[in-house]
Amino acid sequence: MSVQPAIAAPERFPPLPDAEPSRRRSRLPFSPWHLFLAPLAAIMLVPFIWMVIVSLETRQQATSFPPQLIPSSLHFSNYSAAWNAVPFGRFFINSLLYSLATVAGNLLFCSLAGYAFARIRFFGRDVLFVVLLATLMVPFQVILIPTFLIVKQIGLVDSIGGLIMPNLCSAFGIFMLRQFFRTLPIELEEAARIDGTSRLGILFKIVLPLSLPALATLGIIQFMWSWNDFLWPLIIIDSQAHDTLQLGLSQFQGSHFTQWNLLMAATVMSQIPMLLVFLFAQRWFIRSVAFTGIK
Amino acid sequence: MTASGIAVSPRPSLLKRLAASDHLAGWAFVAPAVILIAVFALIPIGWSLLLSLQSTNLIAPAHYVGLANYRALTKDPAFRSAIGHTLVYTVLFVPISVAGALGIAVALNRRIRGIRFYRVAVFVPLVTSTVATGIIFLWLLDPTFGLVNYVLHLLGLPQQQFLQDPNQALYCIVVMTVWSWLGFDVIIYLAALQGIPEDLLEASEMDGASRWATFRSIVLPLLGPATLFIVVWSTINALQLFDEIYVTTRGGPLGSTTVIVYYLYQQAFQFFNGGYGAAIAYVLFLGILIVTLLQLWIGRRRVYYSS
Amino acid sequence: MKRLALLPLIVGTLALAACGGTSSSGGSASKAASGGSSSGGHTTITVWQGDTETEAAAFKTLVAEFNRTHPTITVNSQFYGNSDYALQKVLAAIAGGKPPDISYLYGSWAPNIATNPQVVKLNKFINADPSFNWNDFFPAERKVATVGNNIIGVPALVDNLALVYNKTLFQQAGIPTPTPQWTWSDFENAALKLTDPAKKQFGWAYVNDASEDTVWRYWAMLWQAGGSILSPDAKQAAFNSAAGVKAMTLLQQLSAKHAIYLDDGSDNYLSVFNNGHIGMLWTGPWDLAQIIQSKVKYGVTILPADQNHQTISGPDNWVMFNNGSAREQAAWTFLKWLTSPAIDLQWVTLTGDLPVRASVAKLAGYTKFTQRYPGIGVWAANLNNATQARPQITTYPKISTAIGQAVQGVLLGKAQPQQALSQAAQQVNGILAAPG
Repeated sequence: MSVQPAIAAPERFPPLPDAEPSRRRSRLPFSPWHLFLAPLAAIMLVPFIWMVIVSLETRQQATSFPPQLIPSSLHFSNYSAAWNAVPFGRFFINSLLYSLATVAGNLLFCSLAGYAFARIRFFGRDVLFVVLLATLMVPFQVILIPTFLIVKQIGLVDSIGGLIMPNLCSAFGIFMLRQFFRTLPIELEEAARIDGTSRLGILFKIVLPLSLPALATLGIIQFMWSWNDFLWPLIIIDSQAHDTLQLGLSQFQGSHFTQWNLLMAATVMSQIPMLLVFLFAQRWFIRSVAFTGIK
Repeated sequence: MTASGIAVSPRPSLLKRLAASDHLAGWAFVAPAVILIAVFALIPIGWSLLLSLQSTNLIAPAHYVGLANYRALTKDPAFRSAIGHTLVYTVLFVPISVAGALGIAVALNRRIRGIRFYRVAVFVPLVTSTVATGIIFLWLLDPTFGLVNYVLHLLGLPQQQFLQDPNQALYCIVVMTVWSWLGFDVIIYLAALQGIPEDLLEASEMDGASRWATFRSIVLPLLGPATLFIVVWSTINALQLFDEIYVTTRGGPLGSTTVIVYYLYQQAFQFFNGGYGAAIAYVLFLGILIVTLLQLWIGRRRVYYSS
Repeated sequence: MKRLALLPLIVGTLALAACGGTSSSGGSASKAASGGSSSGGHTTITVWQGDTETEAAAFKTLVAEFNRTHPTITVNSQFYGNSDYALQKVLAAIAGGKPPDISYLYGSWAPNIATNPQVVKLNKFINADPSFNWNDFFPAERKVATVGNNIIGVPALVDNLALVYNKTLFQQAGIPTPTPQWTWSDFENAALKLTDPAKKQFGWAYVNDASEDTVWRYWAMLWQAGGSILSPDAKQAAFNSAAGVKAMTLLQQLSAKHAIYLDDGSDNYLSVFNNGHIGMLWTGPWDLAQIIQSKVKYGVTILPADQNHQTISGPDNWVMFNNGSAREQAAWTFLKWLTSPAIDLQWVTLTGDLPVRASVAKLAGYTKFTQRYPGIGVWAANLNNATQARPQITTYPKISTAIGQAVQGVLLGKAQPQQALSQAAQQVNGILAAPG
């Protein structure tokens, strides 16, 4: 059964202003949703705020336990100290290459595969889907050595390529996009098929444009995974020139002592790109214009 | 049928061609993904199956012992405890995070002032690395100097041992991981909510339905595919919990937070029992597979796809 | 949309760009997976270590000096992560058949690492070169570098546990500071007097994460009470003797009176001590630099005695892997140079670590070292009290876990000393009896 978009609102009710429905009924000067969202945001942000505070403290303040909540002075110099302590710029670039490549790879390959699983009936489809899904069910610790051996066979040890290759396509993305593609109304695709459009064309010209929120989500998630990845880069990278940010951060953590203020400064710096990526991709979370434009 | 009434023979073969090309098309589309996943995931998984049939410390040459590792697992009380801890964790983590994420996503799907700030705020714990999260929670929950006990003290409530209490530690980990991962489910729900036609919601409201009724009978069913995905994914993840344990309790105190993957890690990388660790992974894998298939089967019968 | 069609192009370009990056690092890395090579009389070797901060800087300095003074050898030093992560990386390299030429490895891993055929047995090098003077290394180090009859490592680090105390807190409590003649009851009384819950002040601190950090302090206490870990034939647990119970009981009594700050494994005890909330620590030289920086008025002395003042040492090794005779020879040259008395003195002066050789104490610059790190001399002399070592057997990590749980249980007040020890002994006997 397909979903019929509702026809225009019946004439009984005059068209309402396009403000939020809640505003009509609440007696507060602001939307009641703030009463829920503000405390929630506080809970979510408190640890991050604490991190930022520690990153601005002196070594002395940061090593009091627990680190003081209200620093007496702000030391932005921690940031430049952290940046200079290790080749941060180099690490940044390596992490960026790694993350962008895996995002691009996943978006492409998972779209192709997810579409096939969602819309094409082919031999062995369901079994194959479960087999791919099964690769998500084995913890990485178990397969890190054989993965290393395979990458070594290909000759990509200690290179960014070696970082990227095993992460170019994940069953996670396939599963997620399959779910999303299946929620799209099939009439559009069927119409295009009758018109003779190839399946590839349907995917790129119809399905993907309607799936921007899902693609943005997959992109953000994959970016985050690659950006925060520690164990695989540790195993595959040997020389400092190829280190990623997370590997660089680990050099602030001694086995017996950690420079909290520098570590937090470095951590905050490494998280900013992800927040930027999220802010940028947020526009895809609003109602996709293309979707409401269906006839 | 054509108007002339002549039997049209191209149609059956066109159908046949289409049907054949469906199989070809399907496999062509999945080919790149299948190749990549086969090489970098399936082969390593197969390798570790072989490993589970060996006795090895991953350093010296190994020798095969057949199913001895698996037999030992059935008699291992520590493994059974690990299973118990993992199940308790999963049963708490999945419903709380799915329901919480749904509520928060609905709240974040507004066009009110500052909504972008709220969205970023919910996303921030997700981008915080596990190490940083662990450190911060250890600070917050320290029995003597932590902020939480300080607040409890101000409220006149008794001090807790949190991560140093064998009866509380696992629940603290639940709280920590829910906090950490909420953003993940939220952005998936947010994306799914974009696919719900606004005119549907408006029509329902104009028909006099309460907001809750609209939510229950329109929004929730349409979020079915996303919910199924999130539940399956959260379960798969919860059953493989490791990183957060590693950076905080290290399986303690008194083994109360030793989950299956942590136990695996101990066996393989602390006790040098590589084969045993691989066997644990395989038993876990089978467990996750069964649970996932069950969830997918239930989903097939109850999830509504708009096509 | 045209934009999406660019995806394949982007993926391809990035992948190619990344692959091209393989050869851009120093020439040595592209030769072999482990980054070593030997050609035309010049040898390059790779060393893996997990140094951070001061030690990282010091090691870099020394490696540069070696490379300068040894034109035919180039040492390439690489950071391999910290602690457990490092082991996974080393195991992966071993599995790939191309381990580094030298790797810093924890002493507790030695018995297992030694089972690898590529590990170089150093007996031949040591026997062929009397100037190396193997006996100049402390007994604890030599024990941990030896597995069976094979010497599989050159000592990289040595330490031990001593008693560090906060002079100000002792003054405030009006009790005399610790002396080398202290007994367990002196220690216990002081700890109790220094404990003040109202001020969030503790007499002692103990790392209570059930890891080896928890265990090895207990071993020191066990030895001080005259006990031993295993029977002489290493087939039975011996720690559940009267001595073991006595040690456990001391822990229980102090913990029950909240005299111990229980650290969760993140080593926050140091910050708490530096902020004047802990009276005494049983710790090693690694904490000294931080304590000095914190301006706490501290003192150092040897551990209190029950029957003796024994302490425990936790040496680590430089392990060599065989990647061909040329690289093996170069690696040996480097390690011999690195651990030579003069160079080791340089190292300890820069880092505050203990000298690995006894002869270092006789060098001219040694006084400067002890002045730079006030109190370090106590630890150095205390090495003579590290007469016993932990069992060098492959199952030691499992034994450690069993005891760790026992100690943790007692400290948390969830178990009685005798019962906890009996249970642990049962587990350990099972571990020792299992084949392989």
